[in-house]
Amino acid sequence: MIQMKDIVVKFDDFTALHKINVQVNEGEFFTFLGPSGCGKTTTLRTLTGFITPTEGRVFVRDRDITDVPIEKRNIGIVFQSYALFPTMTVYDNIAFGLKIKKLKKPEIDQKVRTIAKKVDLSDEQLAKAVSQLSGGQQQRVAIARALVTEPDIICLDEPLSNLDAKLRVQLREELKKMQREFGITSIYVTHDQEEALTLSDRIAVFNKGVIEQIGTPNDIYNHSATEFVCNFIGDINRLSDQVVRRLIDGGAKLDPKWHHYIRLERVHVNETPKGGAQTLRGRVESREYYGLYIKYYIDLGSQIIKVMERNDGVHIYDPGETVQVNIDPGDLMSYAPAGEEGQS
Amino acid sequence: MNAKLGAKPFDSTRIIRLIGGLLFLYLFLGFMLLPCLSTLTSIFTAKDASGKTDPLAVIRFFLAGNMGKYVLNSLKLAVLLVITVNLVGISIVLLTEYFDIKGARILRLGYMTTMIYSGVALVTGYMFLYAGDGILTTALKNAFPGFSSKWFSGFNAVLFTMTFACTSNHMLFLRNAIRGIDYNTVEAARNMGASPFKVLFKVVFPTLLPTLFSLTVMVFITGLCAMSAPTLLGYDSINPEIVRLAGSSTADEAFPQARAALLSIILAAFTIVLLTVLSRYERKGHYLSVSKTKAKLQKQKITNPIANVLAHIYAYLLFIIYMTPVVMIVVFSFRSWESVKARSLSKGGWTLLNFFGSQDYQYQAASGKMKVREGAITGVFANKDTLGGIQTSFILSVIAAALACVIVVIACNYIFKNKQKKRSVLVEYALLFPWLLPTILICYSYRVFFNSDSVWYVFGQNLYYGDRVRILIVIAYMVVKLPFSLRMIKASFYTIDEELEDAAKNLGAGPLKTFIQVKLPIILPSVLAVFALNFNALFTEYDMSATFNSAHGRTYAMIIQSMVQDEGMSYTNLNASGRRCASTVFIMIVSGLILYLVYGVGARDLSERLVSREKRRQLARKLKGLFVKKEKVNDP
Repeated sequence: MIQMKDIVVKFDDFTALHKINVQVNEGEFFTFLGPSGCGKTTTLRTLTGFITPTEGRVFVRDRDITDVPIEKRNIGIVFQSYALFPTMTVYDNIAFGLKIKKLKKPEIDQKVRTIAKKVDLSDEQLAKAVSQLSGGQQQRVAIARALVTEPDIICLDEPLSNLDAKLRVQLREELKKMQREFGITSIYVTHDQEEALTLSDRIAVFNKGVIEQIGTPNDIYNHSATEFVCNFIGDINRLSDQVVRRLIDGGAKLDPKWHHYIRLERVHVNETPKGGAQTLRGRVESREYYGLYIKYYIDLGSQIIKVMERNDGVHIYDPGETVQVNIDPGDLMSYAPAGEEGQS
Repeated sequence: MNAKLGAKPFDSTRIIRLIGGLLFLYLFLGFMLLPCLSTLTSIFTAKDASGKTDPLAVIRFFLAGNMGKYVLNSLKLAVLLVITVNLVGISIVLLTEYFDIKGARILRLGYMTTMIYSGVALVTGYMFLYAGDGILTTALKNAFPGFSSKWFSGFNAVLFTMTFACTSNHMLFLRNAIRGIDYNTVEAARNMGASPFKVLFKVVFPTLLPTLFSLTVMVFITGLCAMSAPTLLGYDSINPEIVRLAGSSTADEAFPQARAALLSIILAAFTIVLLTVLSRYERKGHYLSVSKTKAKLQKQKITNPIANVLAHIYAYLLFIIYMTPVVMIVVFSFRSWESVKARSLSKGGWTLLNFFGSQDYQYQAASGKMKVREGAITGVFANKDTLGGIQTSFILSVIAAALACVIVVIACNYIFKNKQKKRSVLVEYALLFPWLLPTILICYSYRVFFNSDSVWYVFGQNLYYGDRVRILIVIAYMVVKLPFSLRMIKASFYTIDEELEDAAKNLGAGPLKTFIQVKLPIILPSVLAVFALNFNALFTEYDMSATFNSAHGRTYAMIIQSMVQDEGMSYTNLNASGRRCASTVFIMIVSGLILYLVYGVGARDLSERLVSREKRRQLARKLKGLFVKKEKVNDP
């Protein structure tokens, strides 16, 4: 549905995007993920028309929209700050785009009330000033305003970043539910990998103006294409040369020159080794109690390895206790050092 | 090729921008730069007795004659004002905000009275009390027949009046600064054994220093540029002398115009130096609170009982000084002509005559016969001259205040849209330019420069001639108000979330629609506040209109001033004192109303407005319900 072809964006001497290629399918929830300044918002602004690319073309349903003005692209946007007009009521905020389109009053009223119902805003709330609403309600107004004009695509630019952790989780769920209900193609921008993994059908991970990987959350998490992606997504252990050497000595087929990583939950403590797993001895340095999980910091001699174990209420290890750490070389994600090609 | 941010094809906005730019250039060059430069050059183009141009003639005259006296007098006033205003200003702020003084709320109201009447209204108010025929002087003369009736005149009177007149800024800015102090720092100092006064000098004052420095510079400039107090109370300072020289001719004295120009340039030089020092100091930064959880300042009890009593006496003494003129003016504004004339409450009665209506004047002619002048004793709104002054001031102030706001709003929109570009900085500096110049220089320059048929860019029209002087006054008012308007309105532009513009654009709104429907409603309360404050200042403005000194531009303040000057002269200005009192009350009401509208009603956001609208609806429903019930009861 959306196709961004060889997009290059330059600001004077600075190149913000280097040949970006993205294809988003109809009805998909697609996320641009990456750290600050990686180019994700620039890509979004190029799609929405706020930035005209230096090179490359943007297509929506095979129509080239690169030179189409912002207001004619039929793309709804939910801004980071929600950008709700503070001097208008909730109703007027939602109706703004319809009034610009010069729709008749009854039609505007009908559309506003229908969308308000869908996003769970009451008539009473419609008459309020936006400042009288909670963060969650404001987000719903922003979504309603973006959707009321029936856009082909909705873009959400870090809409949860200004909220507290609890509300963020709650609204994340609501957002996903709403997207499913409306079935609209959604582009979501975030730097929060947890948000990206929970919400998205597919994710594009950005770094320094290039896309490092496009894939499903599982691909991105378990089969990270690059060392950057593997480091950026989730918590991970990079194994020290000594640990790698010990695994090789134990029969693992690993290139000692490469960088080898393992996710925290793939390392196990005091378990009978399964498959090709190898056992290393370590001492519990400290632990963090999360309720459902317990995170251990285990000293393997050459490095402290982090382990996330399910809390069964029985197998809990105290700091100072000697434990066995099981690592299956098959669970490792390995990358050639910079300058050398390769990934396994 | 680079990426274009929101690139748009060529459209009419470019033409509008071009026209706007040309208009702005016309305003800046034609009404800011050229007239002032002309004033500057006139100093060096003065002609001597033989008609030859002598570039240094005025300078020589300045050094040899008594012109230096005016500069020194102004400097003396400015320096002493800095001391007295800071003493009183800091005192009243500490007494109401820092120390625990009983009745601080009432004291604060008294100390804030100068915010609702200032300039000529205040000076004439003080004169009503302290001048030769003032209430207090009359009472003192009655009690002590040898008491000099001229005790309240000249330098001391100017210093006294201006000391109390110039503390409004302390009540606004120093009060805010002291309220912003983190109380935890005070508690920490007390915890470490510091006495309340040690805390005051070692912890509180250092944080107030930047504000105090700014206030000091502003007071110094006010003293240097003082106009109404020296004019009315009789003190030879720079500004009254400029006005006098501007109205003089070469037949009476040597090159008066060039001397007036020199004096205004000297004022400008002082102002520029002081403002440069101030802005350099401000750029160094302020003492910012590093506290993450700021605690509200709690009032400090003065533990020493003697110091406590003395502080209370001092506080109430100041309160009496501030309040007496106000109370007397209000009381006498409702007193009959006989009572006002005698400055006594024991004669005559209460009346609204000083505001509305007229009364016949009975007097004994030289022949011994009693004669009557019908309707000669008039109130503010029945006196043709006063009403004319109010009308002139109202119209000129509304136009100028509105123009200043419109220009600044358009300029700010441009500045914010072109943040990174040099030309937006130029626009900003151009609008701040009048801040560097004393108002008197601008008005004097206009008076001289446009008093000619040869200024081509105003189509060869003499703008100082006849009613056209009103155009000059409006432009001068507007130009003088540009820097203040810019500072205030620009601050409100910062509150506009940049994403709002993107959102409006995304929803299909063009630049004009976005500006009118999205940005303007956000800044409108600030713009209206600036408009109201500009109007408030201009409505009773005296310095500028006095500099123009034209019969066609007699403003309200000039009329009030004339009420002091002409009163008693063959009864040509009957009931001038009554009208003076009523005028001051009228000004207080107008200013009070404006301040309430600006800081009370205007500060409400949409949610507060919706809440009060709902309350009004509920009240209306209740009233309607009562009415319907009554009708039902009445209906058999």
